[in-house]
Amino acid sequence: MTVEVRPLGDKCNIKCRYCYQEGIRTAGNVPTRYDLDAIMATLDRLAEPFSLFGGEIMLTRRPDLERLMQLGFDRHGGVGMQTNGTLIEERDLELFRKYRVRIGISIDGPGPLNDARWAGSLPATRRATARIEAVIETLCREGMPPNVIVTLNRMNAAPDRLGVLCEWIGFLGSLGVRKLRLHLLEQDETEGGEGLPLTAQENLAALRRLRRLEQELPSVEFDIFAEMAAMLRGDDARTSCVFHACDPYATRAVVGVESDGRLGNCGRTNKDGVTHLRAGREAFDRQLSLYRTPQADGGCQGCRFFLACKGNCPGTAIGGDWRMRSIDCPVWFGLFEDIETELQANGETAISRSQQRSDLEAKMIAAWSIGDNPTLHSLLQQAEAP
Amino acid sequence: MQRISFSGPQARALWQPRFERLGEVALAVELEMVRQGRIPATLVWTGYDDIEALTERVRAIGLEAKPVKASLGYAADWPIEASIDEPKRLLDYAFLIGPAPYDVSIAEPAADDLEQTAMRSGYPACCAKSWAGHLRGGGCDPLANLLARDDRAAMPAHFALAVLGVGPVRHAPCSVHCSATRDCSRAFLDLGRELGFIDEIVWLEEIAGWATEASLVNGIAEITTAAFRCTWLSDEGASPHRRLRHTLAAPRPVKRKAASVELVGGTEILVELGTGFEAAGFASPFAMRSRFSAIVWEQTAALRRAASAVHVGCGDGLLLELIAQTRPKLKLYGLEEDAALAGLARQRLGASLPVLGGASLEALATLARLVPEGVDLAFVDPERLGSHEALAAIRVIAKSVIVIGTDRSLRRFKDMDTYAATMGLALLPGRAARVSAAIAAMDRLH
Repeated sequence: MTVEVRPLGDKCNIKCRYCYQEGIRTAGNVPTRYDLDAIMATLDRLAEPFSLFGGEIMLTRRPDLERLMQLGFDRHGGVGMQTNGTLIEERDLELFRKYRVRIGISIDGPGPLNDARWAGSLPATRRATARIEAVIETLCREGMPPNVIVTLNRMNAAPDRLGVLCEWIGFLGSLGVRKLRLHLLEQDETEGGEGLPLTAQENLAALRRLRRLEQELPSVEFDIFAEMAAMLRGDDARTSCVFHACDPYATRAVVGVESDGRLGNCGRTNKDGVTHLRAGREAFDRQLSLYRTPQADGGCQGCRFFLACKGNCPGTAIGGDWRMRSIDCPVWFGLFEDIETELQANGETAISRSQQRSDLEAKMIAAWSIGDNPTLHSLLQQAEAP
Repeated sequence: MQRISFSGPQARALWQPRFERLGEVALAVELEMVRQGRIPATLVWTGYDDIEALTERVRAIGLEAKPVKASLGYAADWPIEASIDEPKRLLDYAFLIGPAPYDVSIAEPAADDLEQTAMRSGYPACCAKSWAGHLRGGGCDPLANLLARDDRAAMPAHFALAVLGVGPVRHAPCSVHCSATRDCSRAFLDLGRELGFIDEIVWLEEIAGWATEASLVNGIAEITTAAFRCTWLSDEGASPHRRLRHTLAAPRPVKRKAASVELVGGTEILVELGTGFEAAGFASPFAMRSRFSAIVWEQTAALRRAASAVHVGCGDGLLLELIAQTRPKLKLYGLEEDAALAGLARQRLGASLPVLGGASLEALATLARLVPEGVDLAFVDPERLGSHEALAAIRVIAKSVIVIGTDRSLRRFKDMDTYAATMGLALLPGRAARVSAAIAAMDRLH
């Protein structure tokens, strides 16, 4: 479980054209103040490592930010932080070092490749991008290389720009960046992202190119490919939320601690500008429905990758309706096929091709039906036990 | 089993306790309806631990509670006095509540007389017929089915929220237009008022005005109001994709138009990112851009104080462009000996920003004539500058000289202080890993 601390909710200093939180901001559902004591009390109660998140977390008053960092350091030996990087200043470096802050920075590429992360005007956008680039280099030089999140879109991964993106990622590797997270652009109710999404074929081509790049750059790792391979091996202990049967009413992988200390959900499924609170209990209605619903109707019936994929993130569902499978299904399917083929060629058995697949599916469905969500790993161990 | 997710802390603080209270009131009103003979019987679901309290309560008002047979589609088919294992506490149990002693037709409702059974539980005739027909046709969740119908009429909130069991609608209506259901609803509210549940009936009347959005997609029902959203997995309508949107619960966000950004191809992008990186001492255009960005970032305070700045050896003008983006009002100058790069700099920066060509000392002399009062900041790579005289001339023109570290110089000298010391310069104190620094003093230049 990832605990995301969001003192200022979705408040942000830039307006990325594709941001999934923009609906919330447009609807005016952004807190203007926060209760730090309540937030810290909730974190005490949860007793889980946490990440500082937003919106943009660096909009938080520095003394308050330091208290949160200190809490993370004292209780868990460090704290994560996801930021757009534009508000980081030189004085912050010492805080990051002192409290072992693991920083994740979102940027889609250098200069014009990052133009979708809009800051109000083109000069402001370029200025913001330059600050992010500066911060990445500085953190690397200071021995605190950040993880980098890149969202693939037409600005940075259109066929004639993909080569530039790859070269830049190679440069990040030379700086010391080791981990990159690749996101596909999420489409929502705003028109801000119009014209930015790549087609499924372009997304797949981009991811395949980046996967080859990963093999060429041994020091750089894209989380997503390793996770997909792990899911096909049935090793789901450390894979990310999109592969873990997310319930949008009570997101299991991501728990938000909001401005007043209450628990919130991951915001990816908030398509109508409302940040809904967590429901009282988790359920797996989406996965149960997808499993039995024909693919032509937006389900996953008969898909051999269902156990690995589970319909992917509900925030990316077809038509913005969490009850449907991911609109990126063709992309994930293509990549799963690639990885499956390689695993098979290496003599490994992918669960998608395993004789145990239907039995595993039946056990998973039975578990979800009673509100349980066992790991694939545990089901495989049971199946292989004498 | 339905789940609720409130739209915010205020909505939850207000409506969660109200729903709990309304559930209690709904039971009280319904039991009173049975007691008064307005409806023959009612079906009540309860948790295992509350069974005893329920049976005692109905007995106290002259009614009887009887566990419902499996024929009505429930799982609890054992006598309530039987010993029950702990897992059974997880289940809800259905009880038919009617006047004691039970009429045989109520006590043993026949599977083939679903319609009568429904009517005995208070369904209007039309809804009972619809409900029974739906079950006979293989359906299982008439309310979910109602959500899925292609009926564009607005769904009254009380109809949709029947699923929560808070009243005043306590059955699955046959349609969104059902007048009999409206009559039932009115009777419920009137009786509630008679029984003294004044606040609670006011809440229900408020709910009646709520706009709702209700849909059934692939067997998952969802109802959304301004206060909450509610979902449940239904075996109803597992496919195809059926969705009915009623009036929206909340205004959808106004769609935001983004400013258009012109897309150019990869070759132009590389030019825009920076050319002449090798001459400037960098391994790639990305390295040059990143470093210049870091320099601007590090020198934020100095740039904020300055009114003018010059980049000596400005290459294609990238550093000046980045400075101009941060401080658009700053008066900037570029000096570049390489005519091709100077031309690129002029292209990048535009006519309003002077880029002086020629040999360094000559260009500096020109700059001194152009800006007799001098400039506040000069950005310099001493290694590229190459002569003590040039640096001395810069120090005459500029109030503060910022030494910048390139890939080449930092690879060779490891850090800025070593680099500066090798060049006979002393820098103002700062982070060891910085890539730029102001000169504090100059001893000699190699």
